[in-house]
Amino acid sequence: MTELLQLLLGEFHAKMLLVLLSATQWTIYLSLTAFIGGGLIGLLFTVLKISPIGWLRRLATAYIWLFQSIPLLMLLFLTGLGIPAFFKIDVPAWLAATVSLTLFTSAYMSEVWRGALESVPKGQWEGGRALGLGFNWILYSIVAPQALRIATPPTVGFMVQVIKGTSMAYIIDYNDLMRWGKKIANSQLDGAEPYIVYPVVALIYFGLCFPLSQWSKSLEKTMSPK
Amino acid sequence: MTEDTNTGSAVVVEGMSKFFGDFQALYDIDLTVDYGERVVICGPSGSGKSTLIRCLNQLETHQQGTVVVNGTELSENTKNIEDVRRNIGMVFQSFNLFPHLSVLDNCVLAQRRMLKKPKAAARATAMKYLEQVKIPEQRDKFPGQLSGGQQQRVAIARALCLEPQIMLFDEPTSALDPEMVNEVLDTMIGLAETGMTMICVTHEMGFARQVADRIIFMDSGRIVEVNEPEIFFTNPQHERTKTFLGQIL
Amino acid sequence: MFDFRFYEIWREPDFIDRLINGVWVSVELSTAGGVFGLIMGLTLAAAQSSVSPSVLRYASISYIEGIRNTPFIVQLFFVTFGLPLIFNYRWPFEASALLAIVLNFSAYFAEVLRAGIESVHRGQIEAAQSLCLTRRQTFFDIVLPQAFANVWPSLTSQFVFLFLTTGLISEIGVEDLTWSGRYIADRNFRDFEVFIVLTLLYVLIVFGYKAIFSLVQRFAFRWRVAR
Repeated sequence: MTELLQLLLGEFHAKMLLVLLSATQWTIYLSLTAFIGGGLIGLLFTVLKISPIGWLRRLATAYIWLFQSIPLLMLLFLTGLGIPAFFKIDVPAWLAATVSLTLFTSAYMSEVWRGALESVPKGQWEGGRALGLGFNWILYSIVAPQALRIATPPTVGFMVQVIKGTSMAYIIDYNDLMRWGKKIANSQLDGAEPYIVYPVVALIYFGLCFPLSQWSKSLEKTMSPK
Repeated sequence: MTEDTNTGSAVVVEGMSKFFGDFQALYDIDLTVDYGERVVICGPSGSGKSTLIRCLNQLETHQQGTVVVNGTELSENTKNIEDVRRNIGMVFQSFNLFPHLSVLDNCVLAQRRMLKKPKAAARATAMKYLEQVKIPEQRDKFPGQLSGGQQQRVAIARALCLEPQIMLFDEPTSALDPEMVNEVLDTMIGLAETGMTMICVTHEMGFARQVADRIIFMDSGRIVEVNEPEIFFTNPQHERTKTFLGQIL
Repeated sequence: MFDFRFYEIWREPDFIDRLINGVWVSVELSTAGGVFGLIMGLTLAAAQSSVSPSVLRYASISYIEGIRNTPFIVQLFFVTFGLPLIFNYRWPFEASALLAIVLNFSAYFAEVLRAGIESVHRGQIEAAQSLCLTRRQTFFDIVLPQAFANVWPSLTSQFVFLFLTTGLISEIGVEDLTWSGRYIADRNFRDFEVFIVLTLLYVLIVFGYKAIFSLVQRFAFRWRVAR
């Protein structure tokens, strides 16, 4: 593999590509953690948001509003620079990045899922209640399966936002694809000019994001209500 | 019928067929409509009646045969389709008023854009036809603020503003609540009395009986029967027509 | 327990000036980016209509997918550090920032507008045709106003979402709001307080933008709510 790349691109560019690709794994780890973590927290707040208990609903509303309003960049600065400075503690970049992206993801995901749940006709809830089923049971067995259909395409689509979002984490020195791209572009080496490095970086991001957005689009077609 | 493409007839259709992909919607249609004539086309849904009148102003293009409107033959590459269309007014089942324009602007737009009329003249013409359809007081409202019957009357006025020689009606009352059907039919009857050439696709048999010079019955993409209203209703020639009238009357 | 020291920001007139200037630069660049992005996005969306040549359609789709599937920061760095080398001509970083913002916003707007154009009922176009409007007139007089009205809420949230990423232009030295915050935090070491204030300012700007968008909605799309 390495030899083939060297043959095709020359030693320098092959090496550059390998460095970038290996840095990409950190982008992927961060994306996956944020997506799964954010998904779980998002799920919790989705349920709170539609719960029959008033103050839980308000709590969820506040949470979703707050983390949709704070720019991701500010979240990164707050967790990566602000909290360490304020509490005189050491927060590693990966932790700050993970927390920020998880909070960011959870807020947007619960917004999407709440929308999906609300698009299920009210009659479904009433029908469940008429059968004597409780809130949890109606949600789990009647409403959620229908909402899943509506929610899946935008959920997959949001993975693209998460991956693109991780590129901001380099700003607090998280060692991902973007940070290595910037390092190489700043190296002043021949063949590592910004107009070469950044398109390559872009291409790698594209390779991660494009399949997901196409998948989301095809899901939208197959899953749209008849 | 000859290859008469001069001013003799408003519409001359000969041997026209229309396909949607593999599906043949119209079979070998022959139809001549003279100026001043009122023709009603009826038939069960899916019989091709709407497709037929949509072919007359090329909202659909036919594949075989000839369609001559106002002396101009329509084909896929008709360059002057605008010249043909400006003499044909069209009224749609779902009104298709422009929701973002006021009633008056709906009537003014095409006069300004196509006829390049000055604003005042366009407004005057618009008001004239809004009065004809008895709705001048609604001029400043948006279509969404009007009832269905009012909207359809505005749509008729809008079409009349270009002073067409032929009016096409594509099921103009089918989307209306029953209590609003009559106000639209009355407007159409009024229009018929001015001598307008009208081709109407409709299920309103009372209107057909009162206004039509001829009634055309279509089924499965074919013209089954053409007759004067008296004969059509009292002594239809075809079994299929009888069944249809039995269902509808 | 908590030792908040917001006065470390207020007490320095220089810091206040930087913040005010930062708000102004952020608003200026994202507003200009929004307007030009909308124009370019409209062009991209129109290029995808069924009547345009397939080369144009393909180019538009590729551009939109290319932008939407790569991070803004990469686009920004390419525009700022790559393009000037290619053209062998340096221009101010503000111009690079604006260019990157326009290129970025336009792709997202195009996607929203395309959906809006597709949402206009077919009967509207038929009515325009039967009234002899030309294609151009039909697009500008009939389709576009309705398309805008149909997707205005999506356009609003898309713009807000994009606006919240523009802080990245501080990375190339443009003195926007984020840059001002980092300038202050570098000097008073009160990062937490500074970024809380910055967040509040961003939220306030978003409120402002949302107010303007809904004002436009109320007046330009009056016909939608009128009933």
